Amino acid sequence: MHKGVGARLPRKEDARFLRGQGQYVANIRMVGMCDVAFARSAVAHGRIRGIVKPSGREASVFTAADLAGVRPIVADSGLPGFKSSAFPVLATGKVRFVGEMLAMCVAATRAEAEDLAAAVEADIEPLPAVHDMLEALCPSAPRIHEHWPDNVFLETVIDADLADVQARAAIKVTRRIRTARQAMNPMEGRAVLAYVDRRLDQLVVYAGDQMPHITRTGLSECLGIDHGRIHVVSPDVGGGFGYKAILLPEVVCVAWLAMKLGRPVRWLEDRYEQLSANANCREHHYDITGYADADGRLLAIDCEAVVDSGAYSLYPFSACLEAAQVGSILPGPYRMEKYRCRTWSAATNKPGILPYRGVARTGVCFAIELVMDAIARAARREPYEVRLANLVPPDAMPFVNVTNKYFDSGDYPQAVRRAVAALGWDGWREKQRRGLPDGRRIGLGLAVYCEQAAHGTSVYYGWGIPMVPGHEQCQARLSPDGVLELRIGAHSHGQGMETAFAQVANELLGIDPANVRLIHGDTALTPYSTGTWGSRCAVMSGGAVATACQEIGRRVRRIAGKLMEVAAEDLELVNGEVRVAGTDRRMTLAEVAHVWYRQPQLLPDDVDPGGLETTAGYKAAKDTGTFSYACHAVVVAVDVELGHVDILDYAICEDGGTLINPMIVDGQIYGGLAQGIGTALYEEMPYDDNAQPLASTLSDYILPGPSEVPEPRIDHMETPSPLTFFGQKGIGEGGAIAPPAAIANAVNDALAPLGVELLEAPITPRRILAALAAAKKR
Amino acid sequence: MKAARFDYEKPRELGAALKLLTEAGADAKVLAGGQSLGPMLNLRLAQPALLVDVRGLPELGEVRDEADAVFIGACTTHAAIEDGRVPDPTQGFLRKVARGIAYRAVRNRGTVGGSLAHADPAADWVSAMAVLDARIVVRGPQGERTVAAADFVLGIMSTALGEGEILVGVRVPKLSTRARWSYWKYCRKTGEFAEAIGAFVIDPDRGWWRGVMGATEGAPVVIEDARVLDPAAVAAEAYEPGTYEHQVHAVALKRAAAALDR
Amino acid sequence: MKTITLKVNGQSVSAQVEPRTHLADFLRDYLMLTGTNLGCEHGVCGACTLWIDGAPARSCITFAVACDGADVRTIEGFEDDAVMAALRDAFTAEHALQCGYCTPGMLATARDIVLRLPDADEARVREELAGNLCRCTGYVGIVRAVMRVLAERRGAASP
Repeated sequence: MHKGVGARLPRKEDARFLRGQGQYVANIRMVGMCDVAFARSAVAHGRIRGIVKPSGREASVFTAADLAGVRPIVADSGLPGFKSSAFPVLATGKVRFVGEMLAMCVAATRAEAEDLAAAVEADIEPLPAVHDMLEALCPSAPRIHEHWPDNVFLETVIDADLADVQARAAIKVTRRIRTARQAMNPMEGRAVLAYVDRRLDQLVVYAGDQMPHITRTGLSECLGIDHGRIHVVSPDVGGGFGYKAILLPEVVCVAWLAMKLGRPVRWLEDRYEQLSANANCREHHYDITGYADADGRLLAIDCEAVVDSGAYSLYPFSACLEAAQVGSILPGPYRMEKYRCRTWSAATNKPGILPYRGVARTGVCFAIELVMDAIARAARREPYEVRLANLVPPDAMPFVNVTNKYFDSGDYPQAVRRAVAALGWDGWREKQRRGLPDGRRIGLGLAVYCEQAAHGTSVYYGWGIPMVPGHEQCQARLSPDGVLELRIGAHSHGQGMETAFAQVANELLGIDPANVRLIHGDTALTPYSTGTWGSRCAVMSGGAVATACQEIGRRVRRIAGKLMEVAAEDLELVNGEVRVAGTDRRMTLAEVAHVWYRQPQLLPDDVDPGGLETTAGYKAAKDTGTFSYACHAVVVAVDVELGHVDILDYAICEDGGTLINPMIVDGQIYGGLAQGIGTALYEEMPYDDNAQPLASTLSDYILPGPSEVPEPRIDHMETPSPLTFFGQKGIGEGGAIAPPAAIANAVNDALAPLGVELLEAPITPRRILAALAAAKKR
Repeated sequence: MKAARFDYEKPRELGAALKLLTEAGADAKVLAGGQSLGPMLNLRLAQPALLVDVRGLPELGEVRDEADAVFIGACTTHAAIEDGRVPDPTQGFLRKVARGIAYRAVRNRGTVGGSLAHADPAADWVSAMAVLDARIVVRGPQGERTVAAADFVLGIMSTALGEGEILVGVRVPKLSTRARWSYWKYCRKTGEFAEAIGAFVIDPDRGWWRGVMGATEGAPVVIEDARVLDPAAVAAEAYEPGTYEHQVHAVALKRAAAALDR
Repeated sequence: MKTITLKVNGQSVSAQVEPRTHLADFLRDYLMLTGTNLGCEHGVCGACTLWIDGAPARSCITFAVACDGADVRTIEGFEDDAVMAALRDAFTAEHALQCGYCTPGMLATARDIVLRLPDADEARVREELAGNLCRCTGYVGIVRAVMRVLAERRGAASP
């Protein structure tokens, strides 16, 4: 049975989770552990006049004034014109979003800590709040950071002269398009447990964290202590999606308190905190115009985009990552003559923005795909015909697009054709013509995207983010009994690295995945890494694992060659053994290892003194990363009396390159789809005029369940990336990129005959009914 | 979120329960299944000083087959009704309503009495008992009385229960075998509270053509004679025409009425 | 503080609890049964679902003090259960978990579906799972796993 790259190997990590033995931070107990609750601002914007600690319990309550020497969190983009904001870990001077932390309260239990927090009295003079990003840009808007001339973290400009195109274009579609603010909602909230290890003179921090090494660096900067005195361990993590790729003010506070009290201190985020204080992603606004000829061939895109970046720039991605991305990724794989785009990262009185699965690609896909469908309607062509006319064809690869993005390979038109065929597009068009007996209106929609992932140093440097990834590393060690230990700096939060990287080892060393252990999440045990985000790990960590295994393989062959008296080149690694090719002669990996560790007298003279342990570094052949891409095609039924949307069918054609474990890849697509459906139809955190978040429980903030998420058909194209070790591409986010656009296009296809076009996500019944009523009035 | 502190008593007889409630007044809350109260306690939206657990009271656990009604004790769970472990005098209506409440895990603990006393207008029993013209049986310091289900919920989380009174059970009339019914609700997603409810019970032997519009901002709107049904007009009793709320409530009535004819 | 005595995973347990402590925290903090996870503490997400008195229930909105005399079974208590073993195998075969956080609650509900609704079709399975949220899997593997066990049991039952 094949257990290497390409195998649908069941996951090794399942065993503990199925028995309730996952070790999430909340499951760790320490003697003397105490719990923290934070008193948080109920006001979105205000001047702090005073914070009064509950009488008699002052020693258990800490404000900014107590955290002497703790530096604020600063995440400055390297892009010119970026305005710096300092995010104090406990509010200082002003509060700038509902949920900003005012005081840290510690007690023996969380319940008692919450009692304390409820008794903290904050005297805050309310200031007018900025609740909307467009209002934030008005010159008269209240200033979030008073030393700034405006509420703009960063403005970016890609300029072009469109006069010629504007004169020639037979079709011009102009739209205002918007996506809502969301909360990422992994099932496990954020969590941290910190204590001081006196023997090692180290602060030890257990945190549910996608980037433990970055947290270590951030803590070092904020607390003013060197890396050697900080040890971060991320154990099992119950979902991330970007939510746990951040240096948290809560982590800094808890770490500080652990050092001050000399006992273990814990903070576990609850759902109320997640919703009311951390709705921090996805909110984009586009004023976008598409120019095309009469056949729907794109001439140009002109766009002004705003991203609601919240009150503070967060570490390590900074407040402007998404808006900076929008400019460069909006055109995607489409050919066009001209492109102009201005973006603003607007500061508002909301939690600072964090990149959520898909990052800016979800908003960008929404904007451009809705425009493409509008062009198709104007040109009286099928949506897929207009895509086929405009997507870069395979014979034009490699392709440098209008924003100088280098597409190394790919057949985008084929993905569209296959998705359309998988859906049975023409058959559904026929059913749409006939209509449904219950009166619901059928609509067909599709969306295409490319997911540039695992990009390297120069790309991130070009986007100016404070954390620039370099080489990724893996330490590999073959133990005396033939078990392979792999240590990587990235970390799992559900994507099955313990299995996938064991498969990589199997591919290169023939070792059974059952005999491979992945060690990750622990800064003391693993090489430095920027962590798990941006769909980078299969490529980067996978490449590092492969490179390290190759080196181990070379050393194993040299030792075995000496022992079996053959040339190392004549040896192959199969099934946990070293075999002389074409013969029966073999020895096990364990036997080879035994010689290195226990019988060095038998080793060749030229044996590598590094032995059966090595650290290898890896970077993809080019920094541009990989381009996975897909077309999502969907059929919806719209109940025009209720505004309710049902998904009748969903098909995806995805090119993820070489799939290390197709079962895991499918799982990522299914999970991304569910989140995309949330963005498309259900999820939004509304804010009132005082920037108060209005959906503070899961009864108000709707997460899709099994009745809302269908099983899609997935058709895989596997065009290997020319730039990665096995040709694998980053695919973890793709599923969450296309659904809002595809579903919106389908709803609009259903309702176009009624004069309705929805341009705002989520497409809720309220919005549909309001649009239908407005169309009727016209 | 962890609840604020409260005391807990589980009296073994009704008199003791009433005494506790009378003495504590507004500082006490009755606990049955806890499916509505539990979240409010954990979110600190309710901070009673005392919880009085009524699941030990025999009267609230009774189910009695009476002459032309079935008395269902307040502590009967939704699951017991869903599964038919309790006699159903409504030709399947009760079972269908029960099955649609929230999720099975909630139905295993949540009770019909608790749901009615909590009086979330979107709760299924609030509408269902109103259209059945059920009688809510209440016991208090002044003894026992009955309140028509349609008159029991006065507003959001507000009922006709007086100080120190406990909802003991609900008396559901027996429908004839010729009865027809429908229950239609609109939820954004499976298991969530309804945005709009429409329900009808037609029993010629009783002379009933009753309907109800539920999930309103307060008491459900009872339609005494549904033979002449104008969904938009009924919806307008609670909502401004042209609004989303008006639309979904009118549609709920329309679809519940259409379901009757199948 | 109140004294409660209850059965947990077949063992009798007596303890003093603050009334406001919910069952999940009691199990996790007092009995070190950390398999039951907290996802929302307001009864919506289903992560905390376990079995009380022979049926699935939310442990976050059930107070320990109200469980005097109850028979509680957590994920740890299903180690030797044949139905749960079949579900565990199916969950792995169908990739029904990723981060694992919703899994114990999901298994608690799945076991109830398999035992109570042997003829459930896919639509019914999805409806019955609606009270258990998952943010990772998109539910595909979970639904397949439950359908698989239902089919296995129907196949085993027929002559």
